[in-house]
Amino acid sequence: MNDASPSLMSVDVAGVTVSYANGNVALRDASFRLTGGSICALVGVNGSGKSTLFKAIMGLLKPAAGTVAIAGLPVPVALKRNLVAYVPQAEEVDWTFPVSVWDVVLMGRYGYMNFLRIPRAEDRRIAEESLVRVGMLEFRDRQIGELSGGQRKRVFLARALAQRSRVILLDEPFTGVDVNTETAIIALLRELRSAGHIMIVSTHNLGSVPEFCDNVVLINRTVLAAGPTAEVFTQENLLRTFGGVLRHFRFDESTVQKHDGREVTLLTDDERPLVFGKGGHVEYRERAGREDVVRKRSEDEEDL
Amino acid sequence: MIQTLLAPLQYEYMLKAILVSAVIGGVCAFLSCFITLKGWSLMGDALSHSVVPGVAVAYYAGWPFAAGAFITGLLAAVGMGFVKTKTRLREDAVIGVVFTAFFALGLLLISLFPSQVDLRSIIFGNILGISNSDIAQVLIISAVTVLVLGLKWRDFLLFCFDPTQARALGLNTTVLHFVLLTLLSATAVAALQTVGACLVVAMLVTPGATAYLLTDRFSRMIAIAVTLGVVTSLVGAYASYFFDGSTGGCIVTLQSLLFVAALVWAPKHGLRAARARRQAAALAAAPV
Repeated sequence: MNDASPSLMSVDVAGVTVSYANGNVALRDASFRLTGGSICALVGVNGSGKSTLFKAIMGLLKPAAGTVAIAGLPVPVALKRNLVAYVPQAEEVDWTFPVSVWDVVLMGRYGYMNFLRIPRAEDRRIAEESLVRVGMLEFRDRQIGELSGGQRKRVFLARALAQRSRVILLDEPFTGVDVNTETAIIALLRELRSAGHIMIVSTHNLGSVPEFCDNVVLINRTVLAAGPTAEVFTQENLLRTFGGVLRHFRFDESTVQKHDGREVTLLTDDERPLVFGKGGHVEYRERAGREDVVRKRSEDEEDL
Repeated sequence: MIQTLLAPLQYEYMLKAILVSAVIGGVCAFLSCFITLKGWSLMGDALSHSVVPGVAVAYYAGWPFAAGAFITGLLAAVGMGFVKTKTRLREDAVIGVVFTAFFALGLLLISLFPSQVDLRSIIFGNILGISNSDIAQVLIISAVTVLVLGLKWRDFLLFCFDPTQARALGLNTTVLHFVLLTLLSATAVAALQTVGACLVVAMLVTPGATAYLLTDRFSRMIAIAVTLGVVTSLVGAYASYFFDGSTGGCIVTLQSLLFVAALVWAPKHGLRAARARRQAAALAAAPV
């Protein structure tokens, strides 16, 4: 029913505060609004409240204050209408569980099935179509533990597709995934965006954010900034989001030579970047203390 | 020879014991598939011990034993949930503290007020002396459990596999959680009759664990577990006549032997299969 609804999809998070039983406030006064179609990156350090925000959107946690609305509906109603799908992180899934790829994708259809959850022809058709869309139909009878990291991700994406939800939450979809799968997932997300869906993607993969996300929510125990990528995904905001945690590599302080004086900064949030210079040699973050390296390299260059 | 083999079946009490054991074995095995996959094995052990004070009180008060057992079983489950959410203790510590508290209370009650309820029959089971009213209670519990699991096994499967997805689909996971807990307490009470409080957990875990080693499909896992549960209970109860040994001991020993067999010879997940794979990998890696 929701499938055919022409109304504009939206996710409204308004003043949401979530605290756990032990009194820890995981998220305070978080607000942002998304309208479909959109691919929105959710960016923040570990423990910044990304999972908490996901749980609040899925109704797993009840906000102590504030509201979450999906297409203007309260979360429980939205869930009953199959508006929200979830693609879990690989670590959350028990891969030894005795279920096949086909079983998992059919689980996306439970909300449409009767009391006994016996799949109808329609459910099977949609499940099959979803598997085709992620290129996993030939693996339908495999036990899920027998798949590679990228294939596992695709199966759970197919389950979200089978659910026909117009809001899809993806938790770290690119972790442990090969480049081909990453490209395929991004292409699929773009198609869904054209169809008016909202995807919220929690990711550490900062480099890919400007490439495929039109919106960004920066989070650190609250929403620091939210909006179009071009406006929000700025160096200043990112430094604010990651505080001292973000490792950066400033070219003018580094051993990289012959930069033209303008500042170029390379950001990566959880790993220190490894930078190879023009000559193929490793570049160091601090020029100070490596004067001999710099001198030797410039001599080498003059020799050429 | 045939005369000897048929001997146990001439006694009504043996026939009853064998058939009731088979029913309980099958039902426990069905449930064991969910318990092992959900990671509730310790919980099963805890509940089977926690029902003891309830059984004791029920016998004095003249209630059906199932009612009393059920109440203390659920009290223990709720107690564990409460302590776990309110403290920083790990779950195994919480379960350990709560169920031993209930079990100790049960032992104390039985020793302080001895009556027709015999401590031995609660701890070790007494299927040979089961009364008709007890049989009726066991059958009701079994019927309800089979009905609920049979109708809603797909929901429980999803709940065990991916509770987050269950929630995202709008399923009421709190209800599923408590229904599964309730079924666990109820079958623990039924199994108490056959094998006693100490061995209930075996009936509620071993068939599922064995089946899990033998297949990668949930529906097949249920079929294998239930077959194992029924057959081991039938054979175990029957064999106990000849050994003149404990019925519970016979049944659970059989189940354990089958588990060990599966552990070694399971076609895909057994130890031998794993060794063969390692050897094949080593051969493939070795230079030709």
